[in-house]
Amino acid sequence: MLQSWLRGMRMYFYMIGVSIRTQLQYRYAFVMNILGWAMTYAGTAITMWVLLYSFGAIEGWSFWELLFLFALSVLSWGVCVVFFFHFRTLDQFIVQGTFDRFLVRPIHPFFHFMAMKFDVGAFGQFLFSIVAMVIAYKKLNLHWNVWLWLVFLGAVIGGTLIQGGLLIAISAMAFWTTRSERVYWVVMWPAKSLMNYPLSIYPRAVQVLVTFVMPFAFVNYLPALLLLGKTSGIYPPYWGFFSILVGVIFFWLCFQLWMLGLNRYNSAGS
Amino acid sequence: MIGTLKMYGVFTRKSFQRAAAYRFDAWTRILGNVITLFLWGFIWYALYRGKGSVGNVSFHSMLSYILISQALQGIHGAGTPLWEIQERVRTGDIAIELLKPYDYPLRMLFTDFGSIFFYFLTAVLPLYTAIFLIISPIMPTTFSQGVLFILSATLGYFIRYCIELTFGLFTFWLVETGGVEDIFYFSISLFSGSVVPLWFFPNWLEHVALYLPFQGIYFVPNSIFVGQLSGQALLIALFTQVVWLAVCYALLRYVWARASMKIVIQGG
Repeated sequence: MLQSWLRGMRMYFYMIGVSIRTQLQYRYAFVMNILGWAMTYAGTAITMWVLLYSFGAIEGWSFWELLFLFALSVLSWGVCVVFFFHFRTLDQFIVQGTFDRFLVRPIHPFFHFMAMKFDVGAFGQFLFSIVAMVIAYKKLNLHWNVWLWLVFLGAVIGGTLIQGGLLIAISAMAFWTTRSERVYWVVMWPAKSLMNYPLSIYPRAVQVLVTFVMPFAFVNYLPALLLLGKTSGIYPPYWGFFSILVGVIFFWLCFQLWMLGLNRYNSAGS
Repeated sequence: MIGTLKMYGVFTRKSFQRAAAYRFDAWTRILGNVITLFLWGFIWYALYRGKGSVGNVSFHSMLSYILISQALQGIHGAGTPLWEIQERVRTGDIAIELLKPYDYPLRMLFTDFGSIFFYFLTAVLPLYTAIFLIISPIMPTTFSQGVLFILSATLGYFIRYCIELTFGLFTFWLVETGGVEDIFYFSISLFSGSVVPLWFFPNWLEHVALYLPFQGIYFVPNSIFVGQLSGQALLIALFTQVVWLAVCYALLRYVWARASMKIVIQGG
């Protein structure tokens, strides 16, 4: 058991090494990819700034608090992109029949598919989110103690698992419907942008949905309440501690869904 | 002349049928559109809470602005997206277009008409009719206001089409387009007034936006729709749209003429 795990890990690192080298082949594309993502997120931040220019605050959240909330989700999304972003393209492999090759290798198909790419473009997300967070931390005069740093770390890990889980769930859809990439761009991308703003602005039904069904609330809103020392009428303040736990459970559920789909998989034929 | 029009009409019909065959795509797209509408509706609701009107704009007109903006964005979104144009240039598929006896930018326009028509009839029209009946937003009250809105929205459509295709054709020189498309998407989301109308911009930024072509895409038609733009200001805005359309069209033609002289096919 342990030995096969170690072997798997070795193979994983070997494969991502190859993936990184392929991406570094095209220097210009590599740099522009990173800058492009950083600019996209900066664009959203500018839109937020413009919004709050005339209105001052949204539900008691100032621009810097809002920027922090947004950057926290972008940071864990960045980690998620590194490992799981290419799961959205599973439909292409199924439609073209190239998915079969993941089944005939002596490595777990999920692991193999995950090892296919190590997306270095995510450094754009890191660039934006870290710069934005440092500025927000300074502007808001925050001084976190050890516990709050642990909450922060938990939010990043938990957020990665939650968003990664969703990507895996969407990719699992491809086993049944042979669609995943489009579903990601037209449904999950807009749905994900819901959490760029404090959840308290949405009706109760949506809040319940993003807390208990698609637990986006644990990615940034609930930890941010703790980290920024804010209170919300609805959520108990300590819920932000549970990001990791929620992340692990949700990821496991999504992984089970993916495996269920995998067992159902029929090759594209001929 | 009529023969040419018939030929382009075939592209519209084919693309309509194609869209009908891939209904699933249209319906997932409308889901994304509604989620975005929902998001911005509640953002504005939260921003306005406890405030009557901000800068002479009430929440009700803002809601109407977002509604019509999202409906227009739905229509625009059914056309060929930027990445698809880039992909065609990058893979060299565009070379085949040059062999055919038609004008590529015009052919693309008519192809887009087909998919947009299908999407409009089956998704945007029924959905937004229902939403409009439920919410009863501010609508054009006079016939002329309605006509001017449709005229302005049409001009906006052509402006967006010219800009998007021009950006797509830049791929001829760049091959790798990261960065260029991000500039495009950022401008189209902020400066077009698609989610935040220009009247809420800080003064200096509003001036920047007013000197750019993007405001003609959503901001002008939306403002006409909710009645924020009327009288002489409306005519000036329409005239600006016409000027920008002429400029963008000339630019598209220039870029296309240069691009078709400079085909580089990867690996060919």
